[in-house]
Amino acid sequence: MPLFVAGLSHRNAPVELRERLAVEEDKLRELLRDVTATGTVEEALILSTCNRVEVYGVAPAPGEARALAFRHLCQHRGVSPALVEPLLYTHLEEDAIRHAFRVASSLDSMMIGEPQILGQMKEAFALAQACATIGPSLHPLFTQAFAVAKRVRNETEIARHAVSVAFAAVELAKKIFAGLARKAVLLVGAGKMGELAARHLVEQGAFPVYVVNRTWARAQEMARALSGTALPWDELETALAGVDIVITSTGAAEPVITRAAVQRVTNGRRARPLFFIDIAVPRDVEAGVDSLGGVYRYDIDDLKQVVDANIRERLREAHRAEALVEREAGKFVARLRDVEVIPTIVSLRERLEEIRLGELRKALARLVDAPPETRQALEALSSAIVNKILHAPITKLRESSRAGAHRTWLELVHELFGLTRK
Amino acid sequence: MHSTLLSLAIIAYVAATGLSLAYLVQREEWIHRLASLATIGGWLLHTVALLARGLELGRPPLASLPEAVSVAVWVVVLLALWVERQTGVKVLGAFVLPVVLMFSVKASTTRSLPGLEPALGGAWLWVHIGLTLIGIAAFVLNFAGALMYLLQEHQLRLKRPGTLYYRLPALETLDRLTYRTLALGFPFLTIGILLGVLWAGPAWGSVLTLDPLALLSVVAWTIYAGTLAGRTAAGWHGRRAAYFAIVGFAALVLTLGAGLFLPGRHGS
Repeated sequence: MPLFVAGLSHRNAPVELRERLAVEEDKLRELLRDVTATGTVEEALILSTCNRVEVYGVAPAPGEARALAFRHLCQHRGVSPALVEPLLYTHLEEDAIRHAFRVASSLDSMMIGEPQILGQMKEAFALAQACATIGPSLHPLFTQAFAVAKRVRNETEIARHAVSVAFAAVELAKKIFAGLARKAVLLVGAGKMGELAARHLVEQGAFPVYVVNRTWARAQEMARALSGTALPWDELETALAGVDIVITSTGAAEPVITRAAVQRVTNGRRARPLFFIDIAVPRDVEAGVDSLGGVYRYDIDDLKQVVDANIRERLREAHRAEALVEREAGKFVARLRDVEVIPTIVSLRERLEEIRLGELRKALARLVDAPPETRQALEALSSAIVNKILHAPITKLRESSRAGAHRTWLELVHELFGLTRK
Repeated sequence: MHSTLLSLAIIAYVAATGLSLAYLVQREEWIHRLASLATIGGWLLHTVALLARGLELGRPPLASLPEAVSVAVWVVVLLALWVERQTGVKVLGAFVLPVVLMFSVKASTTRSLPGLEPALGGAWLWVHIGLTLIGIAAFVLNFAGALMYLLQEHQLRLKRPGTLYYRLPALETLDRLTYRTLALGFPFLTIGILLGVLWAGPAWGSVLTLDPLALLSVVAWTIYAGTLAGRTAAGWHGRRAAYFAIVGFAALVLTLGAGLFLPGRHGS
């Protein structure tokens, strides 16, 4: 029974349409039931995220199944099917398997390597399981897709390098400091992105955190949120002397940290590097601080540049991930085909064995006086004949399954040997 | 027997070098595993080769400079494997192994005919050579650490991350590596040179004979002494310490080069 996936994604459908088609959980249950109720679709899973709406299924006539599924979906969401239909892509069998693996591995995501899609797919799988629309075809497909996604994450770097400014800053800090544990952080200003970067640092073990702000109340509030300590504005320079990482995000028109101030501070710091993450525009840290030994300064543009490099690095890794997915999809298809021919091989064997034993019994009944040697010889002879006969069809079935052309051969073998379908 | 084993060891080191460099560009775990295997394999072959050589000669295979350099290489590889395990700096091999290869090829192609002057002998000589070699081995790693530091520092200052940015470890890790290898190598080199001086006096008649290796080694030692003093007393670190490590290593290579190429009493 053909496996298919049909849907639309960020690659071909505009966000206005995707958001109109996104379905919440309750409706999904209903949809799954409606789609499978008629028997047009035997197994089904619906993946609905803000970047894609896809129906994975098993159906005798995939085209019909796709039309049915999206008719229901459009009905639910009040979207005209005429808008959706031309955008739909359909992948069958091997292509559907590859597609599922690629989506799970985040290779088809808008931001390659993003971690959410795998979780969303697992949720969709759990929901479909709860609705009993997962069967013997979709179950192995998705469990394998999750396993492949895990391998891709572990064995390639598509998810390793930060693609947000705040995380890129954290990664940079890790290239300067051997670890972030017990690195002191100073947060200057109350910008949202600054807070986010500080939070990431704290999650990685940075401690303690100091907050400086022109507004004392705001400093205290922020310090509470980050489990840090608020310091008055005029202690900024003193604080600089004792910390490792400084995040600035004030709204000041002029730099609040000058080269002269940093120079005064670095003399007493000796071997400790000082890392400025300047997220403010206009910038808070005077550009000249870079030239001081052991001082590193990244402003928002520098960080964006790092993010761009990280994305390029991810894309480079994506090639390796694609190759891995390709290999895994091939293995999975081969296994599926084996699974398809094995029952036929087994029943063929059983059928011939049945004939052999029947005839042997008859023959032996006629040869009552035969010595044990004769009986053994008959036994061996009949077995040998059966095995010789079986050899060619079994080999042919296995070969054809590897080439993907086993369906007709299966039919043929069934017809020729009068096997009954299970 | 010995030379066959040594050739095999060098072949393994060549493979390890190639693989380590490949790992720097193409980050595949299996490449690193293969590189490690080749390194360990090469080192084991090297060990057996040195043992065979020692048995054959009936003395430590340290009497001529090429022999000594071969042992130094052996110590470097052992130390590099250990440091990699300790610090988790997986790209270390790419920076250490080329140096290893250079020295081991040079040592194996230089013929060591006469060995040492008969005046020189006895246990102190072996101690002099052994300690100096351990010192030199530590400085090879010191050099590798400094080189990695400067490359990573450059990447971070450039603010345009390239392949090396992703592969190299944190500056702090590298700075610590150069400091520790300096602190390890220096006492060995110091005592090694001191023993040599104490020893050469009576044996050569004067310490100040014009042996190029002896003189240059004092230059290298002075640079390392200065770096260590700067690091511990003046709080040097990072780039400055790294530059000094490079200069010190250059002096050391020059020293060994002088020993290998110029006529002198260290024998080539």
